[in-house]
Amino acid sequence: MPRKPKGPSKSRFVSTVVEIEGRSETRIVELPAFDPAPWTTDSALSIVGASIPRMDAAEKVTGRARYTADITRPGMLFAAILRAPIARGKIRSFDATIAKKLPGVFDLIGPGDAPTKTRLFSNSIAYAGQPVAAVCASSEAAAVRAIHAIVVEYDADPFAVTFESATAPNAPKVRSSGNLYPNAPFIVTRGDVTAGLAAADIVIERVYHTPVALHTALEPHGAAAEWEGDRLTVWESTQGIFRVRADVARALDLPLSNVRVIKDYMGGGFGAKNGAGAHTFIAAVLAKRTGRAVRCINDREGEQIDSGNRPATTQRVTIGAKKNGTLTAIRMIADVPLGISGWEGGPAQIYHELYACKNVHTEETFAFVNASGMQAFRGPGYVEGAFGLESAMNELARKLHLDPLSLRKKNFTKRDPRKDRSYSGNQLPECYEHGARIFGWPKPNTTTRPLAATRMRRGSGLAAQIWPTGGGPPSYAQVRINQDATVDVLVGTQDLGTGSRTILAQIAAESLGAQLKTVRSIIGDTQSLPYTGNSWGSMTTASVGPAVRMAAIDAQHQLFDAAASMLNTTPDTLEARDSRIVVRDTDRSLTFAEVTAALGNVVLVGKGSRGPNPENAAINTFGVQFAEVEVDLDTGIVRVLRIVAVHDAGRIINPLLAASQMEGGILQGLGYALFEERILDPRLGIVMNPTMHDYKIPTMMDVPTIEVSFIAGSDANANHTGARGIAEPAIIPTAPAIAAAVADAIGIEVLEIPLTPWRVLSAIAAIAAAKG
Amino acid sequence: MHLTVNGRVHELRPASAETLLESLRDSLALTGTKLVCDRGECGACTVLLDGEIVYACLTLSAACEGATVTTIEGIAEPDTLAPLQRAFIAHDAAQCGFCTPGQIVAAHALLAANPRPTDADIREAMSGNLCRCGTYPKIHTAIRAVANGEFRTDAP
Repeated sequence: MPRKPKGPSKSRFVSTVVEIEGRSETRIVELPAFDPAPWTTDSALSIVGASIPRMDAAEKVTGRARYTADITRPGMLFAAILRAPIARGKIRSFDATIAKKLPGVFDLIGPGDAPTKTRLFSNSIAYAGQPVAAVCASSEAAAVRAIHAIVVEYDADPFAVTFESATAPNAPKVRSSGNLYPNAPFIVTRGDVTAGLAAADIVIERVYHTPVALHTALEPHGAAAEWEGDRLTVWESTQGIFRVRADVARALDLPLSNVRVIKDYMGGGFGAKNGAGAHTFIAAVLAKRTGRAVRCINDREGEQIDSGNRPATTQRVTIGAKKNGTLTAIRMIADVPLGISGWEGGPAQIYHELYACKNVHTEETFAFVNASGMQAFRGPGYVEGAFGLESAMNELARKLHLDPLSLRKKNFTKRDPRKDRSYSGNQLPECYEHGARIFGWPKPNTTTRPLAATRMRRGSGLAAQIWPTGGGPPSYAQVRINQDATVDVLVGTQDLGTGSRTILAQIAAESLGAQLKTVRSIIGDTQSLPYTGNSWGSMTTASVGPAVRMAAIDAQHQLFDAAASMLNTTPDTLEARDSRIVVRDTDRSLTFAEVTAALGNVVLVGKGSRGPNPENAAINTFGVQFAEVEVDLDTGIVRVLRIVAVHDAGRIINPLLAASQMEGGILQGLGYALFEERILDPRLGIVMNPTMHDYKIPTMMDVPTIEVSFIAGSDANANHTGARGIAEPAIIPTAPAIAAAVADAIGIEVLEIPLTPWRVLSAIAAIAAAKG
Repeated sequence: MHLTVNGRVHELRPASAETLLESLRDSLALTGTKLVCDRGECGACTVLLDGEIVYACLTLSAACEGATVTTIEGIAEPDTLAPLQRAFIAHDAAQCGFCTPGQIVAAHALLAANPRPTDADIREAMSGNLCRCGTYPKIHTAIRAVANGEFRTDAP
C-alpha cells in the first residue's frame, strides 16, 4: 500500500502554480496524506482506458435527465427579463404601472430595486441587450406579456461598438474608467525581434481577422432560486457550482454556507457558464421578495445577445525565417474589442509557445466596446491565435517552397520556450508522424474520390496546437463504500456533457478494484459534496481524477483492514478485482459484499485530494489536424471532406468519450472556420443575428469524415493518473487547417474567417484581377 | 379538449396562444421535450403528432383536439428501451443530452417512414436537429446501426 503515516509535517500547506486557460495562478495546496504511485504506460489497467458508454446515457435518451429549466418547486414563479434596445444612453422614464396589473404578475424589479452588489438594472445603458427590468409571474407566458407592457424611454448617447471607434480620439466613454483594458497594451517579449527579422532570409507579413463567435449552448443560461429563511438554494446550469455559490453570497451579502448551489444535468457550457449571472440574481432577488421559488431562464435572443462570446481579433503577424525554414522572429500585434467587460484572453500566448524561436514579441490592445461582454469560449485566445500563427506558418511554407509539415518539425521545441522549462511530456512529433500517415500527407489518400463537378477544386492543409492542461489543486473527493457494497464517488464537480461522471467512476472502480456497475458518481451540490474548482480549461480530468483515485485507494485500505481479520491475514497480502478481495497467491477470497455485510452499518469513506503540480514543468496537450476541402469556384461554397486529428493528451481514460469530445471540438472549429459570425450593426449598435437560423452552427449536413486518434501513453510526470485534458485542444487547430486547405484549393489565402462564399469569391476574384 | 399523449388520454384547457410544448412541459410535466430556440430552428422540441414530426414550439395546443402525441417519454418499449435509445447509448450519441430527445424522435420518424435510409437520407432527415456538442457523427452511427437491424428487441 502506498500509504504514508500521517505524522506531523513541517509544511502541510505549500503553494503551487495552476494554469487556467493560459492564465497562471499561484494557489495554496494542502499536501495529500499520501502520494499514490503513478499509473505509468506499463500499468495494467482494465477499466481505465476502456471505451465505456457514458453512465448517465439512459437518463438522456429517455428524457428523464433533469436540467435547470426542468426544475419545478411548489408555487414556483417564472421570470422574464426586459433588455435595453440601445447601445448606450440613459433611461429617461420607466413606467411599469400597467405591467404590474396584468394577470398572473407577482412582482417586478427595475432600476434601483436590486441590491447594489448584484449590479442589476442601472439607469445607464452600456450595451444593447443589457437587462433593464425583470418580472415574475405564474407562467412564463404571463411574465413575457408583462415585460412587453413596461414603458421605458431612453436618451440615446453616441456609442462605440468597434475597436476603431472605441479607440478613436474623443471616443464615447464606454466605461468611465477608460476604454482600454487595463489602460495599456499587454506586451510580452523575448529576445530581439528586430535583430531576428534582420537576420531572416524571408519575412512574411499578414493581417488576419477573426469574428465574434457565440457559444450557442442548446440549454440557455438559467437558474431557479428558493429561500428557506436566510438560506438560499440555487439550481443553476453552470460549469462551477462553488463559483456560483461565491458570486451569489458576495452579491447578496450572505455567508457562503447559507447558499447551496445544485447542478444535476446541463445542456452545454463551452466556457460561458463559469459563474452567476443576471438571471441568477434576478431569480434570487425575486424569490426573496415574493417568498416563492422563482425560475429565470434566458430566452434564445437573450442568450445569443448577452451570455458571452469569443471576441473578435485583428492580428498583424510578421514572421522571419531562414531559407531552410528556421524561424528567426515572430511578431504579432493584436486589436481585441472585448465588449463591456472581459479579461486578457487574447491571441498572443500560442505565438510564444508552439515553436522554437528565440525572438518573439506580442502586443495586445484590449478595448471595451458597447456590446455584451466576452466570456471564455473553448480554447479562449488560442483558437484565435492559432488561426493567425498557423495561417502565417502555412504561408511561410508556401513562400519557401517547403512542406508545411516539415516546417513545423524543423521548428519543434523540446522545451517550453516561454518559461524555459521542460514539458511533463510532449509527443507532438509522434502526432505529426502518425497524422501524416493516416491522412496520406502531402497527397491525401482519398484523392481518388471524383470531384462533384469540374468547377470544384480540392485542397489540403494542416495546423498544430498546444494548450495548458495540467489542472491542479484544490480538489477534494470522497469514495464511500455503502452497506450493500455499492460505491459512491462524492465530488463537487460538474458534467457539462463531457462525461466526467463516467470517467471519475472508472478511475474509482479501477483504483478500488470494484466492478464499474457498482460505482456511481454523485456530483453537482455545494452543500453535501467536497470542493472542486470549475470545469474549465480542460482541467477536470487532471484536477479531480487524482483526488478520486486517492480517495478510492484510501477506501480500499480501510476495506482491506476489515477483510484482513476475516481472512486471518494482513492487509498487505490482499488485492482486489471485480469487487472481490483475494489473498495473494491463494484461493482464499471474500467479496466486497461479504465484508460490508459483516461490518453491518459501518460505512467506509476514503478521502482524497489533489496534490501540487510538478515544479517548473510545462503541462500541455499537443496535436495536429489535417483537413481536406472541396471549394466550388462558382459559388464560393466550401465543403470540408475530411479531418484527421491526432493529439497527445497523456492517458486517455475513456477513448469512446474522448473521441466524442474531439469530434465536437472539431465541428465547433468547422463552424468557426466557415459560418459562425455575430453581426453587430455599427450604426445601430445592435446584434442583427440573435437566432439559431441567422447565427449558423454546423448541422449533420456539414459533417466531414472525422478520424480521431491519440498517441498512446501516460504522462506520469503531470499527475499520478497520467491523464491531461482534451476538450479545448480539439477546437484549436481546426480553423487554420481548413483555411490552409482552402488556400491550397483556390491558390490564394483568405485572411478573414469565417470563409463565407463572399469572402472566398472575393479572394478568387483578386487572383483573376492580378492576372489581368 | 382531449389529447392522447404516449397512449394516455389527457383533458387540457390550453390558453389560446399556448403551444404544444408548453402544454407538454408545464401541464403534463413531460419535460423530456426541450425548449431551445422557440421558433422552429433547432429541432429540440420535436414530437410526433398523429405520427408526423412537428416542432412542438410552433404547434398550438388548441389546434390539437383529439390528436395523438408521442414524446421522448413514449419512445421506449414497455419493458425495455427502444432500439434507437440503446443504439444512442452504445455509440455515445448523447453528450450534454439536451438535443437528444428531439434527435431520437426525429430518427424514430425517419426509420418509421424509411426503414432502409441511405447515409444521405439520414443526413437530410436529421439536418433540422441542431447539436452544439457536435455529436452528429455518433448520432449518424447510431441511426445507421438501427437501420441495419442492430439493437432490435427481438434480436438474439
